[in-house]
Amino acid sequence: MINLHKKYQPFITLICRLLLGGVLLVAGGLKAFKPSESAGAVAAYKILPTNLAHLIGYALPWLEIAIGILLIIGLSIRFAAVIGIGVMVIFIAAIISVWARGILIDCGCFGGGGEVDPSKASEAHRAYLIEILRDLGLALSGAYLYFFPYGRLSIEKPIKNNEEQ
Amino acid sequence: MAKQAKSTKSSGGDKFTRWLVIGMVTLVVASGAIFSIVGEKTKANESFAILNDFKVGPTLVSTVDEANGSGITFNNGAAKTVDIWEDPQCPVCKTFEQANGEFIDELVRTKKANVVYHVVSFLGNESVAAANAAYCAADEGRYLDFHKALYLVQPVLENSGFFSTENLIKIGSYAGLKSQSFSDCVTKGSKLDKVKAAYESMSKYNVQGTPTVFFNGKKWERQNNAFLPSEFAAAFEAS
Repeated sequence: MINLHKKYQPFITLICRLLLGGVLLVAGGLKAFKPSESAGAVAAYKILPTNLAHLIGYALPWLEIAIGILLIIGLSIRFAAVIGIGVMVIFIAAIISVWARGILIDCGCFGGGGEVDPSKASEAHRAYLIEILRDLGLALSGAYLYFFPYGRLSIEKPIKNNEEQ
Repeated sequence: MAKQAKSTKSSGGDKFTRWLVIGMVTLVVASGAIFSIVGEKTKANESFAILNDFKVGPTLVSTVDEANGSGITFNNGAAKTVDIWEDPQCPVCKTFEQANGEFIDELVRTKKANVVYHVVSFLGNESVAAANAAYCAADEGRYLDFHKALYLVQPVLENSGFFSTENLIKIGSYAGLKSQSFSDCVTKGSKLDKVKAAYESMSKYNVQGTPTVFFNGKKWERQNNAFLPSEFAAAFEAS
């Protein structure tokens, strides 16, 4: 089992990088050019004071883009993975928070977002669950990258091959 | 294999590279955010252009009727009553105002009806801020001008930062509200208690959305999906 993992680890690392990096890049890219939507979506969570929420709405897409690029090209993978996990954990916490407070919003994960029609409550609740699971999966990819940052097609490579590689 | 986790020595792992990467990421995020904010500011300023030829009307005295959902009340005691429920961020309220605003203004000016505006704020923080400013404007006799200006510049997206204190004061200045008392009232949120009372009265009057209109206490069920001025006028005459 361990040998099998050792054999495939560089590929799993690559997949995790492309998965987490790709999602962050796409999500950030879709939001970055619609800044007022993004700002409104963060405000709709009603967690932060409006001004701070808007500032985060403007900055977050660019952070996602930067981290996404780092992960895809394979540079400073660990650093990028930790930030990626942090972002996902914040997303999960935010969704749980709106769910618990009974606020109905579209997560704004890929742009758009804001409050939704109350008649779509059950759909919104199912969407929350799917979003949490998705972000959890992405956070786990990030965690894997923290422990095994080096894989295929990466700029960053270990200088000193340790005995197991 | 856990060894790999511990080996921090890598081509991207030395201190210089790490700080370089952190620096680059910070730079990208900061410049991107500034680019977004500046872009939005420019867009916001452009939207004020529509107010350049805004015509300010005469001041009209109104009262706040706490017994009637803290509505902004004109011509209390007139024979007919028109209750209008609106949210500053609601796009359909903008349509309604543009179709029937002139007719309603006329009712107010000629004292033909007791017109009550219930400025509710169920669409979020910026509705609250704008509703507060609307009550401030009412204090200075300029509710009608202010709400008209508000709808003219209403952004497509809710809670996107447009109805900020600064912008609400600016909208007011186009609507003839240049006094210190108005800007103080907007900045301090002096009318938030009334805003809250108006919002909470929605359930009491069974108002589920905006715009909602009552003629003499009876809910207006419009036949036509568009807000036809003729239909509204006819409904008022019939009430």
